[in-house]
Amino acid sequence: MDWQALALSAKLASVTLVLLLPFGLWLGRWLARTDFSGKAWVEALVVLPLVLPPTVLGYYLLVSLGGASPIGRWATQALGVSLTFNFTGLLFASIIFNVPFIVQPIARAFEAIPGNLAEAAAVSGLSTWQTFWRVELPLAWPGVLSAMVLTFVHTLGEFGVVLMIGGSIPGETRTIAISIYDRVQAFDLASADRMALLLLVLSLGAVAASFFASSRLMVKR
Amino acid sequence: MTNGVGSGALVVDVEQRHPMPVTGAFNCERGQLLALVGPSGAGKTSMLRILAGLMQPERGRVTVAGETWFDSATGSFLQPQRRHVGLVFQNYALMPHLTATDNVALSLLHLPRSSRLAKAKHWLDHVRLTSSQQARRPAALSGGEQQRVAVARALAREPKLLLLDEPFSAVDQMNRQGLYQLLADLKRELAIPIVLVTHDMNEASLLADWLVVMDAGQVLQQGPPAAIHRAPRNARVADLVGIHNRFHGVWEGPAQEPGLGLLRWTVAGDDASTVATLVVRDKRRIDPGQKVTWVINGDGVSLLDRPARNDDEFAAVVTEARHLGEVTLATLALAEHPRVQLHLTLTGPQRARLTVAAAVVVRLDLSLVHVMPQRFR
Repeated sequence: MDWQALALSAKLASVTLVLLLPFGLWLGRWLARTDFSGKAWVEALVVLPLVLPPTVLGYYLLVSLGGASPIGRWATQALGVSLTFNFTGLLFASIIFNVPFIVQPIARAFEAIPGNLAEAAAVSGLSTWQTFWRVELPLAWPGVLSAMVLTFVHTLGEFGVVLMIGGSIPGETRTIAISIYDRVQAFDLASADRMALLLLVLSLGAVAASFFASSRLMVKR
Repeated sequence: MTNGVGSGALVVDVEQRHPMPVTGAFNCERGQLLALVGPSGAGKTSMLRILAGLMQPERGRVTVAGETWFDSATGSFLQPQRRHVGLVFQNYALMPHLTATDNVALSLLHLPRSSRLAKAKHWLDHVRLTSSQQARRPAALSGGEQQRVAVARALAREPKLLLLDEPFSAVDQMNRQGLYQLLADLKRELAIPIVLVTHDMNEASLLADWLVVMDAGQVLQQGPPAAIHRAPRNARVADLVGIHNRFHGVWEGPAQEPGLGLLRWTVAGDDASTVATLVVRDKRRIDPGQKVTWVINGDGVSLLDRPARNDDEFAAVVTEARHLGEVTLATLALAEHPRVQLHLTLTGPQRARLTVAAAVVVRLDLSLVHVMPQRFR
């Protein structure tokens, strides 16, 4: 069992979630509330990481964030960090490929809130911020919760993009999914077995728990 | 009651073309109930949204108790949060995740939590919800109870203007009576202008002091309900306020007696025909020879027990009789002109005579006839 890889995966998933959640809430709510020409393009862009092969996404990220690219050069000169083959690069990629997993369920959840509740809140004297905290977020919470779980679990298991942009540097970019692949390559099936099973149980448990919690929340309403 | 534009607790004069036309000017005094009536799509709800500040019209002014809420001339627009307006939504728009108490407490966020809950309880008690009902979420309350919560939430704002959007549409007939009473009580207690939107003319006439009849985004007529029923400005208004006894005719000019005129009653589509020539009130607004539409309200049609003798009495045959509880709605055809139909609403023992094909005699009270020029909008 590669505990270091598991810890790295957990760290990557947690940091991704913390950074992505506010963005996901903002974009999801905005997409649910706003109608404009060209909205379909924005939505397509959001879903793109879901339909693109991970290696293709990883390849473009590698090319656009690498040392030779304008972004990569700027990051090295201005911030002194490299964006490929290290944790920062991995985090960056992780945020990109998780956008559909956080935004979609949140947008659906906000869409399901009747529009006149926000108006009723406004007439009752609530500011936009108060309406968000006291009305919209509690009502969208089951959707937000499942978006969080999906994002976390998906980050734990992502392989293609991680391999392309991070490689397999122990403690830096070797996540549990990469580690499983390495173990299989080395014919260490016993280790691969244990890690794969752990990932399976964790993922299934988290998704089931979120579904259970969502249905409980729905019934209480 | 002064409802001339320019004074009053609520003064509205707005105009908008897009996205939907909404134009109108009206006033409402403190303690008065104004009903906006009209078919769906008439712009009633848009007008209410303009008053609540949920929609900003293109031009005009809205002032409440001397405070300007909207004025396109000075570019001022008060946000709904700052308007102190109570709005009861058509489907109540209660927060499904909060109990009745918390729903009401939500409009009291400016108070500390403990006094918020006490105040919320006060308002819910006021609309006669029991403690156990107050602890429930909207899904566990009946339509009428949800409505009371919505009213309590609106009142908790201590509004300067109370707005009600089709408040009775989702409430069954039995609960309606209780809510009518509640509304009558509120009108007396609150002493603020109340604006009610409804498509139900009976409801509007029952509750309102002042009717504003809207159609296609325009105000067609306004006034006390009785005045509009007696003298609708045109055929469309007569239609909208549910005056069923609407007929065609030709204005023949003044009668011998001053103040009276001659109305030749014709069959629809045949101006040469004559059902009868009636002597009715003449307001000197119609030129002789002009085609007219005329109405007579329900009180003006009665059944007689003897044969027709006078010019205002007609033999008729019952073509349809619907007995609804204690009321009977009947359609009669004139014996000599079967295409001319009269509608009659009856209560009491006379109803027994109204069976299909029965011969009856009706009398029209000509003092209740109201004549309107045709094709006037």
